[in-house]
Amino acid sequence: MSSVTLSDVEKYYGPLRVVHGINLEIESQEFVVLVGPSGCGKSTTLRMIAGLEEISSGTVSVDEKIINRVAPKDRDVAMVFQNYALYPHLKVFENIAFGLRIRKEPKDHIDKTVREVSEILGLTPYLDRRPAELSGGQRQRVAMGRAIVRHPKVFLFDEPLSNLDAQLRTQMRAEIKRLHKRLGVTSVYVTHDQVEAMTLADRIVVMNDGNIEQVGTPMELFMNPANRFVAGFIGSPPMNQFEGTLTANADGLFANVGNASIALPEINNVQHGQAVVVGIRPEHISIHPVDNLPSIPISLDLVEPLGSEALLHASIDNQPLIIKAETHGDIEHLKAVTELFAPTDLIKVFDKETGAVINSHPTGRIAS
Amino acid sequence: MIWLSDHVRNEWRLYLMLLPTIIWFIVFLYKPMYGLQIAFKDYSIFKGVAKSPWIGWEHFQSLFTNDQFLRAVSNTIKISALNLLFGFPAPIILALMFNEVLHAGYKRAAQTIVYLPHFISSVIIAGIVITAFSPSVGIVNTVLGWLGFDSVYFLTKPEWFRPIFVGTGIWQEAGFGSIVFLAAIAGVNPSLYESAVVDGASRWQMMWKITLPSILPTIIIMLIIRIGNIMEVSFELIILLYQPATYETADVVNTFVYRQGLQSGQYDFAAAAGLFNAVVAFVLVMVANTLSRRYSRTSLW
Ligand SMILES: Nc1ncnc2c1ncn2[C@@H]1O[C@H](COP(=O)(O)OP(=O)(O)OP(=O)(O)O)[C@@H](O)[C@H]1O
Ligand SMILES: [Mg+2]
Repeated sequence: MSSVTLSDVEKYYGPLRVVHGINLEIESQEFVVLVGPSGCGKSTTLRMIAGLEEISSGTVSVDEKIINRVAPKDRDVAMVFQNYALYPHLKVFENIAFGLRIRKEPKDHIDKTVREVSEILGLTPYLDRRPAELSGGQRQRVAMGRAIVRHPKVFLFDEPLSNLDAQLRTQMRAEIKRLHKRLGVTSVYVTHDQVEAMTLADRIVVMNDGNIEQVGTPMELFMNPANRFVAGFIGSPPMNQFEGTLTANADGLFANVGNASIALPEINNVQHGQAVVVGIRPEHISIHPVDNLPSIPISLDLVEPLGSEALLHASIDNQPLIIKAETHGDIEHLKAVTELFAPTDLIKVFDKETGAVINSHPTGRIAS
Repeated sequence: MIWLSDHVRNEWRLYLMLLPTIIWFIVFLYKPMYGLQIAFKDYSIFKGVAKSPWIGWEHFQSLFTNDQFLRAVSNTIKISALNLLFGFPAPIILALMFNEVLHAGYKRAAQTIVYLPHFISSVIIAGIVITAFSPSVGIVNTVLGWLGFDSVYFLTKPEWFRPIFVGTGIWQEAGFGSIVFLAAIAGVNPSLYESAVVDGASRWQMMWKITLPSILPTIIIMLIIRIGNIMEVSFELIILLYQPATYETADVVNTFVYRQGLQSGQYDFAAAAGLFNAVVAFVLVMVANTLSRRYSRTSLW
């Protein structure tokens, strides 16, 4: 199996820089997900690994061997495209066999491998059909099959599930994860769907505007976002953020948000009156009194039931916030909520100017 | 009927828009068909189409015993076959070649140059060909002279007429004809190529395994149209290039009709020849279309 290393990789389109020198080490057998908003350079990064885009500067290595100048076909990577890129004139069997035929593998080997792979993917009954005669999920599987038959060192996925409906996406997500467990091939997966990123990834790389904002396991990113961007991107709904000012008194550190006062954890190197942003996850907020936490008054706008939970859309000092609360089978009691309690140790404090977290957790891995 | 009149009353605006085309068809295509009946009549311009007496298949009988006509049919088929063999693939090959040109400016210049002959009148094209092959000043004979050959008066040699004619046709139309295939190539999903690149395909393999199969429906449609036009050898270019010395290989049905009808005044006989030509063409289109629909799910209608 193979590791992939990106060092100081940049991409220019003419004078326009779309990837700003990124560093990333992907370990052998790891499943890494690149996630970020549209246009942040995820696909470009992936395509540079595949060899479909030239690398403007920096190096990409597979197994410590620099591949900048290696032709795509010799990189031994396989890519699954968003629109599947199936050949409409070829039957499923030939679509899956395409890469092997191109490499002029022996016929019986092709036959055997394609049948094995279609068995894994449940495509055996469809081998004689053309892509137009398949459902979206089946096409997606054929696209995966094309990548798998080649036994590549690295799998690259560019938003492979975004053309599927929500239910099928969940199902295929699980299938991809199972497949990765079974094959153990190093994988780089691009998506802009953070749920997909959280569920699939060994490690997530959050990108924004051509930069890496943070690299970490899904739980590291969830619990210890390095900055406001990551906090606002990971989680659904994402972390609530309020602007406020720091005050310290005998009881500890507080942030004043309008008239409310939010108790903060211990932080070093901060000043009284410093402008900060307080972050708290919707699922960490309590609407029931918790011992010696100050009550924070809110004004409630709307309750959205999801089933066992509900989303409460509210505001503190005109700054919007979302609370995730248990319904216990009924939302009437949630409509009367007027205060919340924020557990001090789960609160994140960000510098208002730089957006970086101030009370970073020592185990959080933060990109340079 | 009631339904139809209601329908027309409701949708009269659409029918109004259709009207000019229908009128054009009637005036220029259906009304002249009235005159086709002279193929079965002993036509006299003094009696007119309606009053001339019916004589049945007599003209057709004499057609098929007329050596010149039979020669013209055979020439038409031979020239068309050559045209199909060399002229049909030419624009496809040209389009595939343009597709491989990466430099945008060079590609545009080359395309303009090959499109150009299409926009030049056949009279000028013929003039260029005649000059080029002339025994005294022609470039071809000049080059042959440098190579130590005697000059040949190509356009008086029956064995040279078909190559020159087919070659001229390719020069004139291959570039313009490639546009339709280039458009088809442009419609191929680019990620098919990217995926093939990652799979290790060479440009040559991509051309054979992706580009050609993807434009196959277009190729088939163009082939059907082409087969339908087999009897329609480009008539004015033949008139401009042939001469009595080359009738033997150059005279086709259309030029035969032209000479019999307009030059010898045998309108009824010429009409019979023209009608024969049209019926054969009609059958060819029908057959080609049916075969194509059956075997490739692509058809004109
Ligand atoms: N061929 C190109 N020429 C110029 N700019 C380009 C080109 N391809 C992409 N870009 C720009 O590069 C940036 C990154 O594009 P990229 O496709 O990597 O985004 P992405 O993160 O994959 O977004 P999405 O989630 O929408 O797919 C975008 O701003 C885009 O406009
Ligand atoms: Mg993308």
